[in-house]
Amino acid sequence: MIRVAKVRLRLPRHVGKSLLAGALVLLCARLGVAQGPDPLLGLDTNSRFAVDLMIDSATAAQLPTGPLLSRVLEGIHRKVDGKRIVDAVRRELGFLRSARSALGGVPDDELIAAAAVLEAGAKPAQLAVFRTRHKDRSDLAAFTYWADLITRGVPSEDASSAITKLWQDGADDATFYSLWKSVNSDILQGLNPGAALQARIRETPGRAPSSKTPPEGPQETQSQ
Amino acid sequence: MTDSDQHPYVEWIAREAQRPVVTDQAARERIMLAVRAEPVPKRRSRVWARVFEPRAFRLSPVGSTLLAAGLVGIGVIAGGVLNNRDVRPPVGEPKAPAVVQQLPVSDTVVKFVFVAPQASKVSVVGDFNGWDATTTPMVRTPNSSLWTVTLPLTTGRHVYSFVVDGSSWNADPAAPLAPDDGFGPKSVRIVGRGFAL
Amino acid sequence: MNDDAADVQRVLAGDVDAYAALVDRYYDRCARFAVRMLGNRDDAEDALQVTFVRAYRALDRYQERDRFSAWLYRILVNQCRSIAARRAHRERVFVREEALLLNAPERSTGWTGEDEEFVQRVLSELDPLLREAFLLKYIEEMSYEEMSTLTGVGVSALKMRVKRACDRLRERWERIKHD
Repeated sequence: MIRVAKVRLRLPRHVGKSLLAGALVLLCARLGVAQGPDPLLGLDTNSRFAVDLMIDSATAAQLPTGPLLSRVLEGIHRKVDGKRIVDAVRRELGFLRSARSALGGVPDDELIAAAAVLEAGAKPAQLAVFRTRHKDRSDLAAFTYWADLITRGVPSEDASSAITKLWQDGADDATFYSLWKSVNSDILQGLNPGAALQARIRETPGRAPSSKTPPEGPQETQSQ
Repeated sequence: MTDSDQHPYVEWIAREAQRPVVTDQAARERIMLAVRAEPVPKRRSRVWARVFEPRAFRLSPVGSTLLAAGLVGIGVIAGGVLNNRDVRPPVGEPKAPAVVQQLPVSDTVVKFVFVAPQASKVSVVGDFNGWDATTTPMVRTPNSSLWTVTLPLTTGRHVYSFVVDGSSWNADPAAPLAPDDGFGPKSVRIVGRGFAL
Repeated sequence: MNDDAADVQRVLAGDVDAYAALVDRYYDRCARFAVRMLGNRDDAEDALQVTFVRAYRALDRYQERDRFSAWLYRILVNQCRSIAARRAHRERVFVREEALLLNAPERSTGWTGEDEEFVQRVLSELDPLLREAFLLKYIEEMSYEEMSTLTGVGVSALKMRVKRACDRLRERWERIKHD
């Protein structure tokens, strides 16, 4: 019986180990960190145990572990205490899981950006609309600006419906960028974030032609 | 756990496992409901008590083996389950990319700019340098308040902040914000093939 | 313990509601064991229901010289074993993918402890007999003698199981740490 138990434990190790190793190699490459010293060294022991276990769970669930490790390192360098770091990692893992549930199999960067949309305050159902994604498109930009708008104070419902409508109309990354840029500039000048978005959305063309110049001021809308 | 030589991780697991689980009042009520439907147990007379005295729950060697075999079956199944789970994508999902994402080989060079007229030093920190302010100091353009640095970044999404004079963390006013996670302000840079937003 | 004996007397004298006091006194602790042992709330609630009803039926056999909790736990431990064995049988019949889904992280198990699901995953990976011994020793904090009476297994075998459980847990962490 004991022998069987030993064999059982070796089976997942081989697979799990190579996956986690792969994820860590990838992370180190992306972090530009030499794979020498242990990146989690700055954590107290109990926090270290909790984080290790969560990263292990993320790997087992085929979720990217980069953002989790990044939170830990950020927390360590910001001199945040271990318990808050653990809380942040747990929250991030939760958002990654929700994003995965909502979107299914998408590239890691989009998943992480989608998790940020949820973290900002959007609901999983709003994200799930993007599940029927276009194969040749990345939604990384759309998700990034969506999260930003909510973070800046645009009501979550307004931001979600604006981004979704643009996306459904086939807007490209440049369109999202220019919308974001103009709304951001309006907010910095003191405009109410929700109002700023409504105003700029009305000006944004639906199916954008190849022109990349952002609309300056009010303009006759050509679609809708 | 009183063994002083127990490994700290094992002690931690024990402590965590000792936490109470939240229980459901309704479940307790269901128990009492079932109990009330039963005949009331009556104390048996002394004579019968000796006859019905419960034997110690001691399994015979055969019994133990069979029980162990039954339970070991769980262990083997669970092991197999874990093994498969690590390799297969979730059932019913479109083919998910492998956990180790294949990134394009070429990086894109990205310029970071921050305006800080009063600062004596500024660094950029982010997921590309382990959030370490000593790694990537920025350089002040002479006679201006502009601090800049140019870095190769891998394609994809990056999160970063500017650290002023070693202690003040700032978002990039020219970039989308990352959501507020309680750690402090930070920004997002998207790097694609040949462009960065 | 005096309370327990007194409550049992009251039930045997016909006061069924006195059993609720016993349930209230032991439910949470038994629930913790059942949940940690079986790894999911549904099975744990089944185990608890059967345990308390069987304990009620067998009250006439409870002797005041026994500790009520030990007596109750004997029933609970055996109930957890049968549910686990039944579940193993069901899983053998399932297609592997379905068994995978039973363990899928997205499935809500109603945990409220924040890191509970992670620790529970680790515990659930232990061989059931090792897990049982580990839980009785370090979560229920029983002596080996009590555990022996409860499980019907000899003290040295139990010590071996507890040691093996700790070894497995430690090895598992070494693996996470070094990968």
